[in-house]
Amino acid sequence: MKKSIPGNRIILFIIKKDLLVYSRNMIYIFLTLLGLAFFVAIYWLVPDRVDEEITLAITPPLATLLSEGKQALREQGVPEQFLEELDEVEAAFEEEGLVLVEVESEALLKQVVSGEMEVYKTDQGQFIIHDPEGDQEIPAGATRISPGIGMSFPRNFFSEAVLQQNPRVTVYADSAVPPELRGAMEGYIREMAYHLAGKDLPVELPDEETIILGEDRMGDQISMRSKMRPLIAFFIMMMETFALASLISNEVLQRTVTALLVTPVNMRHFLMAKALFGTALIMGQAVIVLMLVGAFTISNWPLLLVILLLGSLLFTAVAMLVGAAGKDFIGQLMYSMLFLIPLMIPAFAVLFPGSVATWVNLLPSYPIVRLLYDVTIHGALWSDAVNPMLYAALWTLVIFGAGLLVLKRKVAAL
Amino acid sequence: MSIRRVFMILLKDFSVGPRKPFFLWALILPFALTLLFQFAFGSLFEPKPRLGIVDQGDSVITTAVQNLEGFEVSILTEVEDLIGQVEEHDLDAGLVLSPGFDEAVQEGEKPALEFYISGESLASNRIIIAVTAIEMLRDLEGGEAPVEVETVHLGEPGLPISIRLVPVIVFYALAVAGMWVPSSSLVEEKERGTMTALLVTSVRVNEVLAAKWLLGFLFATFLAAVTLLLNQAFGPRPLEVMVVVIIAAALTSMIGLLIGIYSKTATMLFTLIKSLGIFLFVPVIFYLFPDWPQWIAKLFPLYWVIEPIWAVSIMGESLNQVWFEMLVAAAITLALVPLALLMKKRMLA
Repeated sequence: MKKSIPGNRIILFIIKKDLLVYSRNMIYIFLTLLGLAFFVAIYWLVPDRVDEEITLAITPPLATLLSEGKQALREQGVPEQFLEELDEVEAAFEEEGLVLVEVESEALLKQVVSGEMEVYKTDQGQFIIHDPEGDQEIPAGATRISPGIGMSFPRNFFSEAVLQQNPRVTVYADSAVPPELRGAMEGYIREMAYHLAGKDLPVELPDEETIILGEDRMGDQISMRSKMRPLIAFFIMMMETFALASLISNEVLQRTVTALLVTPVNMRHFLMAKALFGTALIMGQAVIVLMLVGAFTISNWPLLLVILLLGSLLFTAVAMLVGAAGKDFIGQLMYSMLFLIPLMIPAFAVLFPGSVATWVNLLPSYPIVRLLYDVTIHGALWSDAVNPMLYAALWTLVIFGAGLLVLKRKVAAL
Repeated sequence: MSIRRVFMILLKDFSVGPRKPFFLWALILPFALTLLFQFAFGSLFEPKPRLGIVDQGDSVITTAVQNLEGFEVSILTEVEDLIGQVEEHDLDAGLVLSPGFDEAVQEGEKPALEFYISGESLASNRIIIAVTAIEMLRDLEGGEAPVEVETVHLGEPGLPISIRLVPVIVFYALAVAGMWVPSSSLVEEKERGTMTALLVTSVRVNEVLAAKWLLGFLFATFLAAVTLLLNQAFGPRPLEVMVVVIIAAALTSMIGLLIGIYSKTATMLFTLIKSLGIFLFVPVIFYLFPDWPQWIAKLFPLYWVIEPIWAVSIMGESLNQVWFEMLVAAAITLALVPLALLMKKRMLA
């Protein structure tokens, strides 16, 4: 009489068989690694800084504008106490988010805005105007900046504005400058003139602290590279669905599963093995990629692993649903698309806020993307992740249950 | 090699083609991608400041803001909803206009402005929205600004994102039709055994390969041209555009043929296309981000076909200006022919 084989060993045998099928295919292994390497390479190629500043050129330099304005007002008999208030206007140009390049003449300003003359910012924060056709060398370590918009003030702008003599300011704008920025800069000049003319705002402005909602990230914005971290992990998991669905589909299509079921392997073993193999395959790749892009930290690694596990289970379940249809490769590919395109939408909703409708929050992949984003970018902790994690677990359970059921019925019907 | 037999195989592929999912997929994809990229995701690459308004009193500011160029304006009904969206950075800023706000401003009562800014909003967007909002209030107050502002535009306008996305869409048309169609067709014949049946007749492997390459070439040429047409990107030299499209289709179909010869199964085919796809797609990204170092794109083979398409169709250049790129693309295509002939033994295995 034969000794019965424990269930866990049978599952292990099936997993080993699947692994063998994969490992025999050297091209698959090579290309999978190549694919991972490319994702990582693209991550490191994407810029790691966010350009959130408006670079503006003005002429004459602010100090000249201010001193000549004050001088003209003194000559008009304006009291010194009032002149000190003009310094507030100077402070307005130092507002965070504005980079001011001061040039000596209107002609130079036009050349700077049109790009005929290049502007470089040195490590010390100085601006160097460089003639690309001249002999002058670009300072080492300096970065090029492009003031797309420039303001040419009359030298007596301050005095004329204070005395309400309707000064004339010319704004030079590169045609590539978006209309909203152009309009805002025109408005900026008008508001400065209103202020100098002593015309207060027609409303009471709230305190800055009360109007900023959420964490103030000015100067510390999330770069595209950082945003790509959760995106890469999510897409790696999603892409593996195709491969896993194909593996299951082949078992169904070629009826190797029926051959397996006449051995001591039963349906439970088969399903369990597929689930474990799929989850390990998907999660393994996601973990490797996240390690290579430096997403794991001492504080987030356990949480991140749990999220990846949930995501891997979810996509394994999708692969089971797709694979159970037992279609040929192309049919299976198109069938996969039906599931994967809706699951892809939350990635855009989270990464590009405001771009997609709020109903996407209901999609099964939403909590996974949200969690990946919050943990890898905002440093969310277990306490922050409980609700979305429960939501993700619920969806995973539902789809996994559906996947197992559909696959079981399909295999039983063969 | 018999030209007649090549065309017979090609005709057979065209006659059974409409029943095949990959044919349909290849046909539908350029249209779907044009819609998806141009309308759905076109705005993602050049985000506009997003302003939300809750208007509780039929303010004229609401109408004025809706007519502004370059802003994404959302009208909401609940203040809590507005605050939530600003906090989540679904909006850059939110403005609440209370009942009687306009009248209060016009009568000089200086009402309190309920205004919110998202902490994740870019500094530039904060300035743009704040200044624009103040401008609206000044307009509402009435009166002339104490300054005259004249704007002078310099240079030619930059390319809009809808145009910069064209290489992405053309790439997909070329990749799907040129690479996917011949390779899928070959692999399907291998898997279903029809290839063996075909090769026991007088048909030779070279003829099958030539027919499959032609299939991909014709499909890729047609779909790339349709894609350019859909995106109104044929430019001032449509005939010259067709020349570069033909060279691009020749190269992508040759890559597709090699993939089809190498792949024994559909799984292997998919894995190859998935991995090579990333490699081939890289140069296209550089058209979306012109600030990146462009020399990197030249390291990838499809740069040499995407660049002439870009130069001639979008930038309106002549063939003389892209002869080197076209020569490199043709050289790569020709260099792949002996490789295909060397690999053809796999077809017989």
